[in-house]
Amino acid sequence: MHVRKANSMERTLALLVTACVLYIPANLLPIMITDQLGQPTESTIIGGVVLLINMGSVSIAMVIFFASVMIPLSKLAMMFYLCWSVRNGPPETVRQRTVLYRVTEFIGKWSMIDVFVVAILVALINLTNLLVIHPGGAAIAFAGVVMVSMLAAESFDPRLMWDQRDGKDE
Amino acid sequence: MESCLNIINKDEANNFANYLACPSCDLLFDVSMLADGESARCSRCGNFLTTYRTNELSHVIAYTSSALILLALACSYPFMSFKSNGLESVMTLPETALRLLSNGMPTLAFLVAAFIIIIPALVVVLILGLSVALKLERHYRWLRPAGKLVYHLQNWSMVEVFFIGVLVSLVKIGHMATVIMGASFWSYAVFSLFFVLSLSSLDRVQCWRRIGALQP
Repeated sequence: MHVRKANSMERTLALLVTACVLYIPANLLPIMITDQLGQPTESTIIGGVVLLINMGSVSIAMVIFFASVMIPLSKLAMMFYLCWSVRNGPPETVRQRTVLYRVTEFIGKWSMIDVFVVAILVALINLTNLLVIHPGGAAIAFAGVVMVSMLAAESFDPRLMWDQRDGKDE
Repeated sequence: MESCLNIINKDEANNFANYLACPSCDLLFDVSMLADGESARCSRCGNFLTTYRTNELSHVIAYTSSALILLALACSYPFMSFKSNGLESVMTLPETALRLLSNGMPTLAFLVAAFIIIIPALVVVLILGLSVALKLERHYRWLRPAGKLVYHLQNWSMVEVFFIGVLVSLVKIGHMATVIMGASFWSYAVFSLFFVLSLSSLDRVQCWRRIGALQP
């Protein structure tokens, strides 16, 4: 048996708002700076997706698009909906909402793909003066989005949704 | 094989050792009569509850010891090397974090190191410690905190996510140079397999039941 999570709702909402705020610099700042023969080129998350499509790797571009745009945004939307539904959701959908919560818990960490790609490329491509890759500010902001939204999913207590139903039964 | 469990009356919950509240909806179940190899799911919300296996601990010890050896190998050999115009650069697994540190991003370096090396290693060491202690049926004070930490940390290990990252990086740079996978890549790949096996074969509920049974 597990103790209920304290102040679950307040914590979850605070973390969700933080994640939304961090998502802005994560998309505006460059995630990676490619320094080729002394000429730096900055690329953002979306820029990286466009570059991959131009290179012809549409499937990998889709993986990055899903991991860096779709998953974090839909996760935030789903978590906001779940928080709202604790008080206002239709009681008969509580089972589906519990499944939705398990989905948000599972998909969160897959957004880290792009951050790992940056870490790998920075470590691997290090030909002094010829080709060097530096990490950009968006990498840390995006890692923050993923971490904070994972903490939000962890602090949300799905049992709150079942409480509402139990309350109506009695 | 799954068995449908009866919902018990809350008043009957006097012997707490056999009862389990569904972690997702708090409905109470009696899980003491599962046979070897049987699993249980919550009848109300469908959440997975537990699987009972008599020889679970020996498997877990084998998987975790293999995982530790593989992780040590993965940290000591080159992970990937990159050749372009006669120049070569080699990367090891710890360097993914260390190069971020030398690029002035200590926080990100720490997070990457934690997600791909430190947390997975810690989880494996804790599971090994727990299963050896439970196998020997010795009670230690650290068993409870270790058990809690394992189940809390396992969501934060990103070994499999890192592999997708490797795949994406290969596509990104494959056209401009030759990339060669090193011994560390293969050890880390097998490590990820044993890591998942160690986690999935140590059942959370059964682990706590065993710890509870050891208490004086």
